[in-house]
Amino acid sequence: MIQLRDVSVRVPVIGRNAPDRTLLDAVSLDLTEHRIAVIGANGSGKSTLLRLLNGLRTPSSGQVLVAGHDTVEEAKTVRSLVGFVFTDPLAQLLMPTPVEDVELSLRTRIRNRVARADAAQRLLDERGIGRVAHQSIYDLSGGERQLVALTSVLAVEPEVIVADEPTTLLDLRNKLMLRDIFETLPQQLIFSTHDLDFAREAQRVIVIDGGRVMADGDPDAAIAAYAGAMRA
Amino acid sequence: MNARTTLFGTFEPGDGWLFRMPVGWKYALMLGIALPPLFIWEWWATLAALVLAVGALLSSGIGARRALALGWYLWALLAAMALYQAASTLFEAAFVSPGNVLAAVLASRMLTLTTSTPDLMDALSTALRPIRLVGGNPDSVSLVIALMLRSIPYLAGSLQDARDAARARGSERNPVLLLSPAVVGSVAYAQRTGEALHARGLPGDRPDDRPRINAGRASS
Repeated sequence: MIQLRDVSVRVPVIGRNAPDRTLLDAVSLDLTEHRIAVIGANGSGKSTLLRLLNGLRTPSSGQVLVAGHDTVEEAKTVRSLVGFVFTDPLAQLLMPTPVEDVELSLRTRIRNRVARADAAQRLLDERGIGRVAHQSIYDLSGGERQLVALTSVLAVEPEVIVADEPTTLLDLRNKLMLRDIFETLPQQLIFSTHDLDFAREAQRVIVIDGGRVMADGDPDAAIAAYAGAMRA
Repeated sequence: MNARTTLFGTFEPGDGWLFRMPVGWKYALMLGIALPPLFIWEWWATLAALVLAVGALLSSGIGARRALALGWYLWALLAAMALYQAASTLFEAAFVSPGNVLAAVLASRMLTLTTSTPDLMDALSTALRPIRLVGGNPDSVSLVIALMLRSIPYLAGSLQDARDAARARGSERNPVLLLSPAVVGSVAYAQRTGEALHARGLPGDRPDDRPRINAGRASS
């Protein structure tokens, strides 16, 4: 379970005497469901909330606990538990080719290089992208890159996947394919999205507005509250 | 061809002799070809290094087109070096100076075109084992070196992007417009790399006592 206890995130504003800008304001949540969607307008604080969950961002006040581990004080344990998928997969890929990138994730678990390369190829095959295993990551389509990024994150076997708008840069075919993959993942999945149909597939939807939780719970009710607020 | 993929090239599996050679020997061969011409500084040493590097790549089944696909910016740099030396009437240096750079790049490609990056990291980690004696972590150091090598073609690609953007605005001769986006992009790239490592729990071993999380699976 992931717990946020009275978490606020503030950033300084350049300029004398300017007050800090609040990105998240006293948010408390218990994230227990298997599929949780986070929705909200641009700049509402969705990404900030998600980045707190594996310690990519630290709270200005309050506490974030992953299976009881503080994301600040036990950062290494938290990092190994929570994998993060970025909106832009190119920001995620570290090696020149997909198979090498997945191998990098496997390196701490499989030291034998032949076994590691085989395992990396197998993981890419399972995602249907084995044919591009040795192509440059810059020569892949957006959908292929996102699948490689996801495969690399899954290769470290995290317990939770946090995905920040993972379908935003994808065309419809790749969006649907990624949604199908997310549906079958055994890990807990917490994702942000502007795609309300995608959000409806979650068991719980959290609406963030102005750094606060505006609605939280049943997907239909939460999405209706969000749509109503955006029309107001 | 993308500038980000050209300088060191990308590894593709093969069965030529360089592919089968242990990584440590490949490092030694690379240094054995790239370093002597730098010290000898004679045209024949440069020519020998070039012939050896190209010969090694071709005889390992890497085609000439792939072996020599270094990117326009490197060829332009080599041409500029040659022209500068020739204009200074240093005709031997006009061959030796760019030739040595080219030989070093081709020798590096003997390694990078025939060895996957994780294998290079493994070899580095093995070679760096002694730093454990002073509290260092060879795996972390090899990861840093691999990321540094990866950043070189990325930065070259950033310069090309900045040049294309400046050209689109008709200001390709303005060095500020050319360099500023590349510098800002480099800083952002460094930050993204750190976040990408963090996103998958790297570097470092997985804690042995890693807890399990049991999130609810009831369907909605």
